[in-house]
Amino acid sequence: MFTLRSAALALSVLAIFPMAALSAEKPEDACLGCHGDRNISGKSGSHVYIDPAQYTRTTHAVIGCTSCHESVSASHPDDGIRPSRATCKECHGPVQKEYAASLHANNAGCADCHNPHSVKPPVSVSGKEMNAMCSRCHETAKMVKVHAKWLPQADLHIDAIPCITCHTGSQNYVITMYIEKRLGTKPGSDFKVANYDELSQTLPGDKDVKSLIDTNGDNYISLAELRTFNRDAKHDNLRLWGMMTPEKVTHTYQILDNRWDCTFCHASGPKAMQTSFVSFPGKDGSFTRVAVEKGAILDILYGTPDFYMMGSTRSTALSIVGGLIICGGMAFAGIHGTLRFLTRNNRKEH
Amino acid sequence: MSAHTENKEFIYLTPMPVRIWHWINALGIVTLCITGIQIRFPEYVNIFGSYKAAIRLHNTAGITVSIFYAIWLGYYLVVKGNLFKLYVPNTYDIKMGIFRQVLFYFYHFFKGGPSPHHATPDDKFNPMQKVAYMGLMLALMPLVIVSGILILNVAPLRELIILIGGLKILVSAHFLIACCFFAFLFVHVYLATMGHTMLAHFKPMWDGWEEVNHH
Repeated sequence: MFTLRSAALALSVLAIFPMAALSAEKPEDACLGCHGDRNISGKSGSHVYIDPAQYTRTTHAVIGCTSCHESVSASHPDDGIRPSRATCKECHGPVQKEYAASLHANNAGCADCHNPHSVKPPVSVSGKEMNAMCSRCHETAKMVKVHAKWLPQADLHIDAIPCITCHTGSQNYVITMYIEKRLGTKPGSDFKVANYDELSQTLPGDKDVKSLIDTNGDNYISLAELRTFNRDAKHDNLRLWGMMTPEKVTHTYQILDNRWDCTFCHASGPKAMQTSFVSFPGKDGSFTRVAVEKGAILDILYGTPDFYMMGSTRSTALSIVGGLIICGGMAFAGIHGTLRFLTRNNRKEH
Repeated sequence: MSAHTENKEFIYLTPMPVRIWHWINALGIVTLCITGIQIRFPEYVNIFGSYKAAIRLHNTAGITVSIFYAIWLGYYLVVKGNLFKLYVPNTYDIKMGIFRQVLFYFYHFFKGGPSPHHATPDDKFNPMQKVAYMGLMLALMPLVIVSGILILNVAPLRELIILIGGLKILVSAHFLIACCFFAFLFVHVYLATMGHTMLAHFKPMWDGWEEVNHH
């Protein structure tokens, strides 16, 4: 039966053919020949420079330059015509519609946050980069002050949660850890998310930065590997910084009522805190996640020594030990009290 | 100081500053324990309406207990000058006193024997109490206060937290010490009923005067 879904599939296949033909000719090679040269900036402004490394990683590179700049002619730039630009909604209609209905739409367009020539999927961007993007308009110090009016330890929250986790309808949260390096060698200096070069300096030869934690190279981080890294990391002035990031990102920028309620995150319980990743920087600046053994985020000591979400990442083993201590106190009173009652006649003469 | 009424002898055992401190401390620690339960198990326990309310109350009680601990320490160290005499076991206590007191609580008491220790203003605590209070007031209390202050200021004091091994170790230590205080509440209240009457030890903590039991 010819269903709507198969029609969509057929259209997708048809759409791929011209794209494949386009990539075989590689017209973007011709474009990047000039636009990928930093010196072009001096001629007509910095916006015409396209970083080839960043651009070729985007999904926009798959459809090629002329898909969006379709009016560009063979005699460009000598024809003196400024090439047309496609609007985002031509391809991203549903997202644009969702965004247009949000509070944010009147204050920033798509390209204010997403440069179409370097845009990356959310998992390829670090949480700190996401917040750096927001802080271009929403200055961090001011945001800490505003949030501190109702949010305890606002500085810590803003440091450990991308803004979009609370200020969009994003869903399905996980803990993503980034390797941070101390700025300078002095104890007490700040940490920042390490880039590829900074991490590769700590490794011998040309070993992949993932091998810093994923020592057996199976693209999976066990709790033992995580503990080993955390024990040794301080010698290299490194640490893991965990952030609560959404798996499903929306563009519904809004202030949701349930985000005022601390229990939205803090009462989600340890079962909701099982999934975590370590996100490694690549040479091109984008991040790649590697899954971490389930439950690592709840490890008492070296799993994630600097990440703790009150209530949610509590250790069950520690809760049992604490419960036993309290029961010990109650048991002393109970048992001694019972024996005291049973032997009460011995003390009557006193 | 002692007084006699209706053939009963009383001694002034607990000065007013200590009594005020004790009850504020008691209220503070009970509040910290209850709010602490909600903070650790928010999906099961909601006593104070919201999580934020529990955290704010916990923080307020924690700061209050910390300030009053500093006052208590100053009072016994500077004003009275007998902190170590009252709270640190002496040679006799270590050699014999602790053993005798344990033997009393777990054996002679049930047989109807008398307590080997009689409280005086300068020797308020029996050797077992000295050991327990020394551990609680001079070791665990400072630790729980310092860990609490660090947890209350994670971002500004991050460097200190890294120095002690990270936030997880800090929170774990704070929790386990808090459990010790919680357990102590039961032991403390129970042992306070072991005077010559059930309320005999409660009275001096309320009005300062304890009836001397000559048995």
